[in-house]
Amino acid sequence: MGMFLGGLLLLMTTACSEEDPSSTDTAAPPGAPAGSGGEEVEEQTEVVEGTEVVNIGFSGPLSGAGAYYGNNTLNGLTMAIDEINADGGIEVDGEMHSLNLVSLDDQYLPDETGANARRLVQESDTPVIFVPHSGGTYATQIFNEQDEVLLASYSSEPEITQQGNDLTMRIPPTYDAYVEPFSEYQMERFGPKLSMLPPSTEFGMDWAEELKPVWESLGGEVVHEGSVDYSMDTDFFTVVTNALSDDPDVLFVGGSSEPTAQVMQQARELGFEGGFLIMDQAKLDEIDNVLGGAPDVIDGSVGVAPLVYDIHEGNEQFIHDYQEEHGNDPGSEAGYHYYAVYIIAEAMQEAGTVEDAHAIRENLDDGLHQVPEDKRIYDVSEVDEQGGMTTELRMAVVEDGEIELVDFDD
Amino acid sequence: MDVLAQQLFNGLTIGSVYSLVALGLTLVYGILHIPNFAHGALYMVGGYVTLMTMTTLGLPYFVAMFMSILVVGGIAVLMERLVFHQLRHSPPIHDKIAAIGLLLFLETLVQLIWGADYRSMTTPFDDIVSFLGITVTTQRILIVVAAVLVMIALHLFLKKTMIGAAIIAMSQNREGAFLQGINANRVAMLTFFISGGLAAIAASISSPINLVYPGMGHLVILKAFVIIIIGGMGSVPGAIIGGYILGFSESLGATFISSDYSDIIAFVLLVAILTVKPQGLFAKGAH
Repeated sequence: MGMFLGGLLLLMTTACSEEDPSSTDTAAPPGAPAGSGGEEVEEQTEVVEGTEVVNIGFSGPLSGAGAYYGNNTLNGLTMAIDEINADGGIEVDGEMHSLNLVSLDDQYLPDETGANARRLVQESDTPVIFVPHSGGTYATQIFNEQDEVLLASYSSEPEITQQGNDLTMRIPPTYDAYVEPFSEYQMERFGPKLSMLPPSTEFGMDWAEELKPVWESLGGEVVHEGSVDYSMDTDFFTVVTNALSDDPDVLFVGGSSEPTAQVMQQARELGFEGGFLIMDQAKLDEIDNVLGGAPDVIDGSVGVAPLVYDIHEGNEQFIHDYQEEHGNDPGSEAGYHYYAVYIIAEAMQEAGTVEDAHAIRENLDDGLHQVPEDKRIYDVSEVDEQGGMTTELRMAVVEDGEIELVDFDD
Repeated sequence: MDVLAQQLFNGLTIGSVYSLVALGLTLVYGILHIPNFAHGALYMVGGYVTLMTMTTLGLPYFVAMFMSILVVGGIAVLMERLVFHQLRHSPPIHDKIAAIGLLLFLETLVQLIWGADYRSMTTPFDDIVSFLGITVTTQRILIVVAAVLVMIALHLFLKKTMIGAAIIAMSQNREGAFLQGINANRVAMLTFFISGGLAAIAASISSPINLVYPGMGHLVILKAFVIIIIGGMGSVPGAIIGGYILGFSESLGATFISSDYSDIIAFVLLVAILTVKPQGLFAKGAH
């Protein structure tokens, strides 16, 4: 019996630790089996012979609950690195260098990310480490300045660039920029009563905290404040029933696309006819895919613009190549990671070093402007003082079952 | 919408799924005397087999479910033959390690074959019906009805057939069962088959209201562990009652107390029940 409880405890610890704060968290059910993370994944990129090799580090969820998301981020990195190497590499300080991706699995656990990042620095001497979640970002920020390694974080948490870490690069836009335009749009279209049902991750809670005062200052009313725990709730009908009991006009949902889609569908099944205000983590096109095309479910939603609805000269080739290689549409995590590799590669050339993380960091903004036109996946205007990429934002709305992009000013 | 009625129905739906999973777990406990950690993986494989049979072979839902019962039951029997049977003379800790190994193996295997993506299972039962102030999909009614039918069938099987009686005899006293001439190998394999089949049914009926992905088993198995502790390890009625207790406590707790506390409620319940009845509601052997 005692042994069994031990085992149960083991399972439960994994389950709980899975709910780490992460901006781009996927469903995070207690997926990650209790095992040792940090297993090296086979080399995915080929280096060019006769060149110096620069190792690029990555620590993200490649198995367990977040595996789908983690692999998408890795796809973006791999594609960019392969392309750069296929072109002969980068010339830094008169010498040709090719990039080599070293990826480690952290199963979405921040402590594993920390251990992995240490290992990447010590064993592979990586000048840059990509970490696609905020929990792991915080864990790495504890020592990345001391170890002199540039942390390229894919997290829309504003705080990661606000705490004065000199070697952090934030890849996606911060989420706080979405709150007001989303609220204005939905309040005007559906009405002032908001019911909140964010995921119970730290990121979801932060979003909710940001949203509530904005919604109220616009003259709205928050009629229900709940949350949904994707890692513990086996069925969402219960929480959705409660969220709809006060007859709201707008429902705030989010998390990774798949469970969010499920929550939205169940809200419709329970007779909800209002609009959805969707956190920046979930993507409308993915939600539509999960539901197998459900225009009546997503109609009346507002969310971030899906990459494939935002095709322009800079990302046409990338989207085409990605679809060819992987057989599905790239999400923003793949697109942003792809772009970030190019920015860093250019920054290394500008800085004239592949080792000095400080110099690379200082040249990120210059690097950004050197990226070839056809690699500019997003409309990024600068890498700001704090290391955040500033992206021109638009939002996606669903009208008559069609996803359309709207500028924030409209 | 009548919130109380709605939540009672929600509790009934989720309780039915929990009960089915817990039943498989509790039956195998009778043979192994350890909880089969790999049971959640069987549940997950069940969801995948049903989904893939439907999407790649184009077979109807119920046929796919039947296939899934056979496949997962088969995997469970193989597990018994190749792993647990070989370990029958080893200390219990070996069984536990083996079970966790199997869990990791099956999960990785599924991820390797079908990838880590979330998939949704569509069934013909997505019509919405309203009655008595509640709104449900036909799939949810199907869950409740199917679960009850399976439980009745299992009960009849265990009580009215010789093989069923042999399973119960084995779980009550293994040596005694041997002395009565019960073929332990056959009973063990059969028990594993039923356990796998129950996991497959539970996964097949609940996947349409949820998603299919490699980690889907963890969520349910954790609750199933709680249920068999509440109900009494190895007890069949305990697993059923425990499943519904947990289902109702989650849905009503989330409504009338707080959704943040719905899991705490389940665990407080666990503590309270174990304090009063340390062996669980139905002590082992009281079939």
